[in-house]
Amino acid sequence: MGLNMDLKQLAGAIDADLVWGPDGWEEVNIETVFASDLMSDVLMSDRDEMLLITSLSTEQAIRSASIVGSEAVVIANSKTVTEGMIELARDQEIALFCTRYPKYESCVRIGRMLESR
Amino acid sequence: MREEGMEEPLQSSLRVQELIYGLRIGEVMTSRVFAVSRNCTMHDVRVIMKKNAISGVPVVDSKRVVGIVTMNDLMNALEQGRMDDCVTVWMAGEVQTLAEDMPLSFAISAFGKFPFRQFPIVNRKNELVGIITFRNINLALIRELSRQLREMEHKHEHPPDPESLVLVKVYQLHRYDFENGGRASSEIKQFLKQRGIPAKLIRRVAVASYELEINLVAHSIGGMLGFDINRDRIKISSHDRGPGIADVDKAMTEGYSTANEWIRSQGFGAGMGLPNVRRVSDDFAIKSAVGMGTMVQAVIYLNPEEQNESQ
Repeated sequence: MGLNMDLKQLAGAIDADLVWGPDGWEEVNIETVFASDLMSDVLMSDRDEMLLITSLSTEQAIRSASIVGSEAVVIANSKTVTEGMIELARDQEIALFCTRYPKYESCVRIGRMLESR
Repeated sequence: MREEGMEEPLQSSLRVQELIYGLRIGEVMTSRVFAVSRNCTMHDVRVIMKKNAISGVPVVDSKRVVGIVTMNDLMNALEQGRMDDCVTVWMAGEVQTLAEDMPLSFAISAFGKFPFRQFPIVNRKNELVGIITFRNINLALIRELSRQLREMEHKHEHPPDPESLVLVKVYQLHRYDFENGGRASSEIKQFLKQRGIPAKLIRRVAVASYELEINLVAHSIGGMLGFDINRDRIKISSHDRGPGIADVDKAMTEGYSTANEWIRSQGFGAGMGLPNVRRVSDDFAIKSAVGMGTMVQAVIYLNPEEQNESQ
C-alpha cells in the first residue's frame, strides 16, 4: 500500500525548498519515500512513484534516482547542491529539493504527518 | 544526440574493440597444433618446426601442457651441439596458457604482458586444443573487419528507419570518471522511451546498464559499454582492460565488495552491483581473468514470450 500523497504536501512536511521542479510538480503523486545514502540500495528498489531523501549530494544521487524512475530527490542536512546536479535534475525531469533537516528527522516528520492525516 | 567517444584519439577503433571482445580465442586459434611428448629430442622439434614453418612447439603429457620449446631454445641447443637432449632439458617449464572460451581481447592483453610469441590454448579440462599467434589474430581481424565493412556498406545503401528500434552503440568509460558514469544509461533510457518501450522494461535496462557503468568507472582501469538493440532484445556488454576479478563467484555474492573508501563515499561499493545486474537480466554471463579484464553480458527480452522460448 502506497502513501498516495502529493509532492507539495511531503515537501511541506520537511520545510524543503524547491531547487528545480518540472511544471506541475506540486501535484506529482508519491507512493514511496526512500531514505538512503547508499545508491546501491536505491538501485535495488523496485518501488514506483518514489521520493528519495539522501544526504549524498552528488550527481550520482540524481542519476540513481532517475535510473529507478523516481519523481523527486530531497537533499537532506542543508548540503550544498551543485550546478551539475541541478542541470541533471532538469535534464532528467526530476524535482530537486533541499531541506535543513537531517535524513532521520525528515523521515520522522513525514511519519508524523502520515499519522495525523 | 551527442556522439560519444569523439574525443577519443582512436575513435575508429571502437568497432575493432567491440570485435576483439566479441570473438572467442577458440574461433581464432590454430586447432591443428604440433606438440611433442617429454621423451622427444630437440632434434625432433627441429624437424617439426622446419617442416611446418612454426616457431614454438608445446610439450605435452597426456594432453596437458607441461612446457614449450621455442625457436630460441632450439638455437641455444644447436649452438651447444646438444640436439640429442630431451626437450625437457631446454623447454620453458612455466607456460602461460589461455582458455579457448576467453574473449580475444584477453589474448591480445597476454601478448602485451608476456614476451612470448605464441600461447598454447586449453579447454575446460586443461587439455591442449590449439595455439595462438599474432598471425591468427591479424587474419581474424581482417576477416571480421571486412565482413563488418560490407555490412556497413550495405546499411549505407539501405539506411534504417530513424524511428526503428535498432541500435548498436559503444561508450568508452574511464577510471574514476564518476561525472560521466551514467551518461550512457540515460541516453539509452531516452532512446527506449522515445520508442514507447514499457517503463518497467526501461527501468531494468537502465539499472543493468548503470550498475555496469559504475563498475567500469569504480573498479576497472577503463573499458567500454556496448548496446545492441533490436526488436526482440536489448543486449548490454561491458568490457574492461583489467585488473580482472580473482574470484567471480565471490563477486557475484551480495555484499561482497573490493571497493575502497572513496568509492563508498560516492554511495557505491556495497557489493550489490553485479548481483543487481543479474537480478534485472533475463540472461547474464560474466567472464574474467586477472591481468586481462572482465566481460559481462546482460540480455533483457522485450517480448516475454521470446524469453520463455529461449529458456
